[in-house]
Amino acid sequence: MRRITLIEIENELSLFLRNSFGSIFTFEFLRVAVPILILWEALPQLDIVPKSLIPPPSKVILCFFDMVAHRKLLSHFGISLYRFFAGFLVAVVLAVPIGILMGWNTFIRRHLLPLFQLLAPIPPPAWVPLTIILFGIGLKMQGFLVFLGVFYPVLFNTYMGTKDTSRRFINTARLFGASEFTILREVVIPSSLSSIVMGLKIGIAIGLVCLVISEMFGASGGLGWLLVESKDFYRIDRMVVSMLVLGFIGWFLIEGMKYIELKLSLWKIGEVSG
Amino acid sequence: MSVIEIRNLTKFFSISINGEAEGLTAVFDVSLSVSQGEFISIIGPSGCGKSTLLELIAGLQLPTEGEVLIENQVVLEAPPTNRDEFREYQKKYRFRSPIFNSLFKDTSRFDVSMVFQDHSIFPWKTTLENVLFALKLRGITKDEMESVALKYLSVVGLSGFENKYPYQLSGGMKQRVALARALAVKPKILLMDEPFGLLDAFNRERLQEDLLSIWEKISLTIIYVTHDIDEAIYLSDRIVIMTPSPGTVRNIVQVPIPRPRRRGDREIHETRENIQRIFRSDIAGEFEDYMI
Repeated sequence: MRRITLIEIENELSLFLRNSFGSIFTFEFLRVAVPILILWEALPQLDIVPKSLIPPPSKVILCFFDMVAHRKLLSHFGISLYRFFAGFLVAVVLAVPIGILMGWNTFIRRHLLPLFQLLAPIPPPAWVPLTIILFGIGLKMQGFLVFLGVFYPVLFNTYMGTKDTSRRFINTARLFGASEFTILREVVIPSSLSSIVMGLKIGIAIGLVCLVISEMFGASGGLGWLLVESKDFYRIDRMVVSMLVLGFIGWFLIEGMKYIELKLSLWKIGEVSG
Repeated sequence: MSVIEIRNLTKFFSISINGEAEGLTAVFDVSLSVSQGEFISIIGPSGCGKSTLLELIAGLQLPTEGEVLIENQVVLEAPPTNRDEFREYQKKYRFRSPIFNSLFKDTSRFDVSMVFQDHSIFPWKTTLENVLFALKLRGITKDEMESVALKYLSVVGLSGFENKYPYQLSGGMKQRVALARALAVKPKILLMDEPFGLLDAFNRERLQEDLLSIWEKISLTIIYVTHDIDEAIYLSDRIVIMTPSPGTVRNIVQVPIPRPRRRGDREIHETRENIQRIFRSDIAGEFEDYMI
């Protein structure tokens, strides 16, 4: 195996940072962001809006450090991530292969697709009461809700991408003697990769929604729980910090997906085959 | 001895429109026999089932009736028309379609290679990887693979573009990659579906000559689908003229012009006139029917 040098890691990191933060620190966006921040700071400070309801950014930042120091924000953050990834990984590991199989074979599709089409429209939060009774309060229940949020978007996007694999690519491979397995590995999966990544992006967004809901209803820790607790103590600044941290998780994960897309040059594949 | 034997081949596509079954006969009762080392062109207006015919020969589609034999082996059996037999047939192929090669083992039953109309090279593989992919499937050993691929890429004039991705190539270059891929596996039968349609005139003529020289060197049987009458006459031994709806063989024209041929020869010109007369009479016939 080739050893990865420090320079390569540096290059990758700078590419990631350029692509993720690059769109934030542009002159155009700063022109929008800076006035918003100033207004947010000034309006409560000047008592134009009640300070008790809208905490200014300076207070939020102070509150953030206070929460890191005294309210174990990092461990809440960690436990939320842990729950999220438990559900997310199980969902991806199941949804991607099932989606590929459904897109590849009509026999499998006819047996499985209606089931998922019937179950998918149930909004994941509607599962909360049932899951609390079935799994109790704990990782199983939170993970299952995240799983529900991630599973269907990933499944349907994978399935659509696989099914829409251009006939001519499959025919070409088949003509040269490719087995069905080779066709899946060398043709179907590469050509549907951009749909799969798209599904992952949607899955991340919905999965985070489910995470917050599950933590609000059935957890004693995590960012969602922190939100409810802050509400009970009427600490709006803490709420805002929790919200911003949750937003950061979503933003970061989706930027990660974009980076994967960039590395695989998926847009180029779309351009040529589309 | 004929390599490809087509017997009363019919392909019917059923489409359902508003719940009512509608159909389209793409290929109707086509019989043709192609002998070893022959260069056959199929010409005809678009929509006359030329491409479908090629796919039927390649075993990428199931015939509705009739059969294609390659070296006396049936390519694909038509599904039974009897209801009970059809049920059995469906049961047998419920999980794997009859056009599948195998589930896990890369095998091809016939030494057939094809250049598709829209090049159909994989955009996620480089030029070289595209050719290597076909070679790997045909079970060519690893040591040989790379040199063979590079050789055929240089034959089609793509040396230096080995590591380019298809999006970096022009339409004509992609078509040449497809040609290199098809030739590199050293097939006995080469099916070509308007392979040079996208190329500019200079490259087209050059590649036609290259194709002819390769064809003369190895005993290759070529079925070549095209719109271009001149191209068909210049290249082929026989020209199959097809007419649309339903796609039938209108006529088979022998081209007895000795090789090497020269473009713009009087004989080529005469053959062209003959073929055009056939098409013109078809159109005139249609008009007469219309007026009555």
